[in-house]
Amino acid sequence: MLEKTLVDSIKTIDSLTQAQQLALGKFIDKGFPTSKWEEWKYASLKHLNEHNWQWSPETLPVDLPNPVWKHSAIIQTLNGNTHSEGALPLGIALLPMSEFMAQNPAFDSVWKARNPILDQNSLYDLNDALASDYAVLWVKNGVKIAEPLLHQYLVSGQLDTAVQSKLFIYLEEDSEITWFEQQRSESSHAILSNYVQEIWVSKNAHLTLIKDQDLQQSITHVDHTFIFQQESSLVDAFTFSINAAYLRNNLHFYIDGPQVVSNLNGLYIPGEDQLMDTHSVVDHRMPHSESNELYKGVLMGNATGVFNGKIFVRPDAQKTNAFQSCKNVLASDRATMNTKPQLEIWADDVKCSHGTTTGQLSDEALFYMRSRGISKATAQTLLLLAFVQQVIDKLEHEDIRAELSDKIVNKIQASLGLTLL
Amino acid sequence: MLSVKNLHARIGEKEILKGINLEVHAGEVHAIMGPNGSGKSTLASVLAGRSDYEVSEGSVEFFGKDLLDLSPEARAAEGLFLAFQYPVEIPGVSTTNFMKSAINEIRAYRGQDAMDAVQFLKMFKEKMAYVNIDQTLLSRALNEGFSGGEKKRNEIFQMAVLEPKLAILDETDSGLDIDALRIVAEGVNKLKTPQNATILVTHYQRLLDYIIPDFVHVLYKGKIVKSGNKDLALELEERGYDWIISALD
Ligand SMILES: Nc1ncnc2c1ncn2[C@@H]1O[C@H](COP(=O)(O)OP(=O)(O)O)[C@@H](O)[C@H]1O
Ligand SMILES: [Mg+2]
Repeated sequence: MLEKTLVDSIKTIDSLTQAQQLALGKFIDKGFPTSKWEEWKYASLKHLNEHNWQWSPETLPVDLPNPVWKHSAIIQTLNGNTHSEGALPLGIALLPMSEFMAQNPAFDSVWKARNPILDQNSLYDLNDALASDYAVLWVKNGVKIAEPLLHQYLVSGQLDTAVQSKLFIYLEEDSEITWFEQQRSESSHAILSNYVQEIWVSKNAHLTLIKDQDLQQSITHVDHTFIFQQESSLVDAFTFSINAAYLRNNLHFYIDGPQVVSNLNGLYIPGEDQLMDTHSVVDHRMPHSESNELYKGVLMGNATGVFNGKIFVRPDAQKTNAFQSCKNVLASDRATMNTKPQLEIWADDVKCSHGTTTGQLSDEALFYMRSRGISKATAQTLLLLAFVQQVIDKLEHEDIRAELSDKIVNKIQASLGLTLL
Repeated sequence: MLSVKNLHARIGEKEILKGINLEVHAGEVHAIMGPNGSGKSTLASVLAGRSDYEVSEGSVEFFGKDLLDLSPEARAAEGLFLAFQYPVEIPGVSTTNFMKSAINEIRAYRGQDAMDAVQFLKMFKEKMAYVNIDQTLLSRALNEGFSGGEKKRNEIFQMAVLEPKLAILDETDSGLDIDALRIVAEGVNKLKTPQNATILVTHYQRLLDYIIPDFVHVLYKGKIVKSGNKDLALELEERGYDWIISALD
């Protein structure tokens, strides 16, 4: 149940549709997730009860630096409102969901039947209740764009602000894009950033999805990314969780056709007073598909990390290959990591493996390096960078790889410097 | 340059070094010999600053500075080098990058400018020739999957790059075949100058055929029980340690 004061303030919002009111009711009944909820055990959102939220954020103008590398478009989502800066490439359109459905009437029933696993996710309800309609990025049949589409996701506010954003990416058959998403914030106030991104990847389509999550310390960011993959489609997903006081990723893959490949790569590097929680779901619903999960974490200062990786192999999903690996280094005595792989396999002819490890840097290695004149902080940094390199190296785009690599180096160095004090 | 006085060191409750005295001057080569378990590696590790050992008594001065007061990295920057008996694997860090970091941190400590890529390359090429090591090995993750000989050769390569004032080589000869031993010994000899010094830790005389020591010390149960010149090593080769030990016990 939501706190009384928040119920009062949220009920002042008017002009909600019936569906929105229904969702709002669900959210009010459930309230914010607490540590008593199984899926939020280590990542309670109780702290959200302590703010007098501004539920309808203003859209403030922003000035984000553009990348030096070539991009095919810039799409911005500012406090939940999505638009494109300048023209989009031929074959790509940005439009509201209602218009998209009007042009694709057959899709409506498919969409309604998509059935993601929501558990007790009250934030999804909150998003449904208050977000303006989905913005749809529509990539038409056979359209292949080599240069990345840059998505700037930005939350801001001059008061404690709750931001709801909704985005749907629809890739038609044989299309191919790279979606590079910069998640940023611009506020010294508390912000709840509640983001729902759903992606439909049609037959033979290929998506590279890169999330660069670098938000301020005042931000609670919850990212729901649900990806529905059809026959012979390929998705390479990367989640780089770099900064935010609280960062939760619910990354779901629904494999709805044969010959699908889903690659999930993730790196989280929380430092002092930061919590990063990854809940991944890979749901193999059809046969002959493959999923590969590679997650690494470096936990510094008093950071908390959570990895919960669910793999479902449904009865129809014979000949599934599903792999999951999650490796973590605690770079400080005060950091904690909670890992929980969860495999549920109902088909018999499958190959599945999983492994999670959490360790510390080797004292032997650190002494060896220091005996050569390398300071402790540099030695730790070198070992940690070597540890995370495997994930970074999977990025094919050279400039994006370099940009993220620099960011990660800087974060690790800054955090280690802090813990040395 | 090095003055060790009445050095005692323990690990937990166990006292391993029980009063070591040792004076090393520029230009000298000292050999420290002794049966397995006598404390040779412990002495080397304590000098290099391994924190597992607690120094309970005594002092160590290095060029007049209290060595025991310095971090391992500061000792390296002051010119101390330890070639490990068991070099450690450093996953994901190549020798080249490892040495670049080491050189530049040491230079920063000494108030010198960082070396640029071109200077590195030139210096590396020069030093590679000393120990006959090739580029592919230096590009691989340090010591990962290296053979015993490659690890030892790599230690000497690092020594060549860092140009220490005092090098302590802990059993660098063990596990080497005769050709590798000769290469390593030649490397050490080429690096010798009147300004630096070397401590060879070994329990065989073999290495001392190639690197002639000025002094030979026998370490036994945590103490130096006998010192002499190179002839002592030959005598140990012939008669073993028993004659010294039985005279003590
Ligand atoms: N980390 C350790 N913990 C406990 N005992 C140790 C440790 N390291 C060395 N020792 C003990 O100290 C003694 C001396 O060891 P070491 O210095 O390695 O001898 P050497 O190099 O002369 O063979 C041995 O009895 C050894 O078992
Ligand atoms: Mg030894």
